Amino acid sequence: MGFIHFLELILITAILLVVGIPLFGKLKLKKLVEAVDPISDKYGHLLVRKEETLISIKELEFDFSTDKISGPDYKELRHRLESEAAEIMESLDQLEKERRKKTNPVKSH
Amino acid sequence: MNDIGEFTLLLALATALYGCVAYVMSARGNRIDLYLSADKTPFIVWVCVTISSICLWRAFLTDDFSLQYVWAYSNIELDTFYKVSSFWGGQKGSLLFWALLLSTYMLVVCFQNRKKNLRVVPYAMAVMLAILIFFLFLINFSTNPFERIPLPPEDGRGLNPLLQNYWMVIHPPTLYLGYVGFTVPFAFAVAALISKDLDDGWIRMTRKWTLISWFFLCMGNLFGASWAYVELGWGGYWAWDPVENAAFMPLLIATAYLHSVMIQEKKDMMKVWNMSLILLTFVMTLFGTFITRSGLIQSVHTFDEATLGYYFLAFLFVIIAACIGLILVRLPLLKSANELDSFLSRESSFLFNNLVLLGIAFATFWGTIFPIISEAVRGVKITVGPPFYNQVNVPIGLALLALIGIGPVIAWRRATFSNLKKNFLKPVLAGIIAAVALFPVIPLGSRTEIYTYVTFVLCVFVLTSILTEFYKGMVSRMGLHDESAVGALATVTWRNKRRYGGYIVHIGVVLIFAGIAGSQAYGTHTEKHLKIGESFEIRGYTITYEKLVAVEATNIKTRIIAQLAVERDGKRYWTGHPEKEFYKGQNQPVSEVDVLSTWKEDLYMILADFREDESATIKVYVNPMVSWMWTGGWIIAFGSMVSMWPDRLEQRRRLDRIRKQEQLFPSPAQE
Repeated sequence: MGFIHFLELILITAILLVVGIPLFGKLKLKKLVEAVDPISDKYGHLLVRKEETLISIKELEFDFSTDKISGPDYKELRHRLESEAAEIMESLDQLEKERRKKTNPVKSH
Repeated sequence: MNDIGEFTLLLALATALYGCVAYVMSARGNRIDLYLSADKTPFIVWVCVTISSICLWRAFLTDDFSLQYVWAYSNIELDTFYKVSSFWGGQKGSLLFWALLLSTYMLVVCFQNRKKNLRVVPYAMAVMLAILIFFLFLINFSTNPFERIPLPPEDGRGLNPLLQNYWMVIHPPTLYLGYVGFTVPFAFAVAALISKDLDDGWIRMTRKWTLISWFFLCMGNLFGASWAYVELGWGGYWAWDPVENAAFMPLLIATAYLHSVMIQEKKDMMKVWNMSLILLTFVMTLFGTFITRSGLIQSVHTFDEATLGYYFLAFLFVIIAACIGLILVRLPLLKSANELDSFLSRESSFLFNNLVLLGIAFATFWGTIFPIISEAVRGVKITVGPPFYNQVNVPIGLALLALIGIGPVIAWRRATFSNLKKNFLKPVLAGIIAAVALFPVIPLGSRTEIYTYVTFVLCVFVLTSILTEFYKGMVSRMGLHDESAVGALATVTWRNKRRYGGYIVHIGVVLIFAGIAGSQAYGTHTEKHLKIGESFEIRGYTITYEKLVAVEATNIKTRIIAQLAVERDGKRYWTGHPEKEFYKGQNQPVSEVDVLSTWKEDLYMILADFREDESATIKVYVNPMVSWMWTGGWIIAFGSMVSMWPDRLEQRRRLDRIRKQEQLFPSPAQE
């Protein structure tokens, strides 16, 4: 029984050490995440939308090549998706420029 | 060792409690030190639960009957194979097994997301730990597998003979892997609601998890059906038993989610719907666990010591209330950004598919809980049997089958009506040909036979629709590249794994539909009491009872085996050996059926009874097309593998996106 208790004590100590070490250091001064930045959120969202829109264009091409959609419908939907993608990319560029200006005003000039 | 096993369970609970609190505090207080500390706990909890599990397995393998659980589910003579599976044979061990799987999943999630997605992940980990805490609490304080017997007996009571089947080793872990797996998408969904990070990031983070869990749940259901078929000896594979239903419902809801989530990914809409579906899937997995452990429902699948009903009910209510509350609070943030482009689109066909799947799930749920409600309200216990489920679910199921064929033909966003007509031509034509060809062959005297006829026609329609899709994809690829037909087919499938993997899964589903329809409508059976040398006929088979043999298989098991010669067209075709197994200490013998399975039909034999004069009662079933179901299952497995296979292009896109975001908006933990 003595050995079992000793083993239990070692286990508890090991766990306390592993869990406790990060709490005693300089890390306290660091933040886990930046405060919620709506621009960062918007940027991330736009990146996803851009990717999905480009995939949708590819899928539309595939649907057209497998005769699921007529020529006029394909052209109209493709035009709409391309406009959507262009709009998203424009917004992304805009956000990137704004962000660079904010973080590095000298270089950006 | 048992002391260590018990102690590590307590340690796991304490660590999980700390981890859960620390994760939440790290997210709320924005403290990286607490996060890094909390991030150690999944590993510690996993180590503790694993040590505890090893201790229990060791107790089984070394016949340590000082543990009440080992005494109740094992004995010295039990095969090592079953000693390993006895671990999850009873309530106590199955809960520990659940905790082991959940802690393993949690560890993988922790490693996958280390220092990533830090607004969502701490909450997701806290949710998973909270669920694990519930299970660890039960294991530690209510149903401890390390409970001792003061005076250990020399031998154990033994494992229920029905559980001494190889499916026992395969079916429960597969089902649990599915059940437990849905904790991951659930945790991320709740975390997204808490953190207000309601973009579709949580869906992307858990897409593979959802697919893997769906795969295991689907296989778990099929393996369960196989087990029932070969072990329970009643000639069938599905009886709409409450516990079977409990495993079937989350599968239906998860299937609905897998389809509708694609609409959110593509069109950024249906956020509330998808959130509700994944939360409901998890709630249903808990409901399934509640059913088996509540003692409210009698079933061959429920645990003997079903005493945990109130704990699970309370936990279920807390989860449901929290989920509804969170969705209501975040409703303004869950508004869809877009609308459907057209009613005639794949999106709308997915919506119909969702309604149909939920319809089946609701009917099944209602049939499952109605006896409980009836008993609680009127004091009368009513049994809801297969006729109810068949009457309600079969027509809805046929609508689902039709939708499987309609979906692939329709384009995303908007289909052109004229093209749609053209594309439907071949599948509809194939369906009409099948209808005409089958009309004179198939009897249409009863409702079941009419349903079966419709099912076969729809199966042909759906298969043609899917195969045409493969053909079109192949031709389109060959038009653009100089590739052989096989090469083009392989490339187009490999480059569009999700789409074509899904189609392969649908082919499997079609085979399952056909198998169910064929076996339900055209099966026949007979029961004869025969003396040695006597024969009888069934569906063109002449079955002769040749002899009865008694074999002392082990010290605790005696096998009584009947030998039956099967002749067809005057030639010996097969020899069947159905048997009865008698286990020492068990009152009831167990039937071991013998099955000759072919693509056309199963010849299923049961030794129902025997007498001292060696006469025996033989029951024979001829079940058509049962093997179609199992083949369908393997095709589903293959299709799921294709869908789940890592997509390099997708990974590259994701990494590129993360890199861009981090370059512009670095997070402190990633610096």
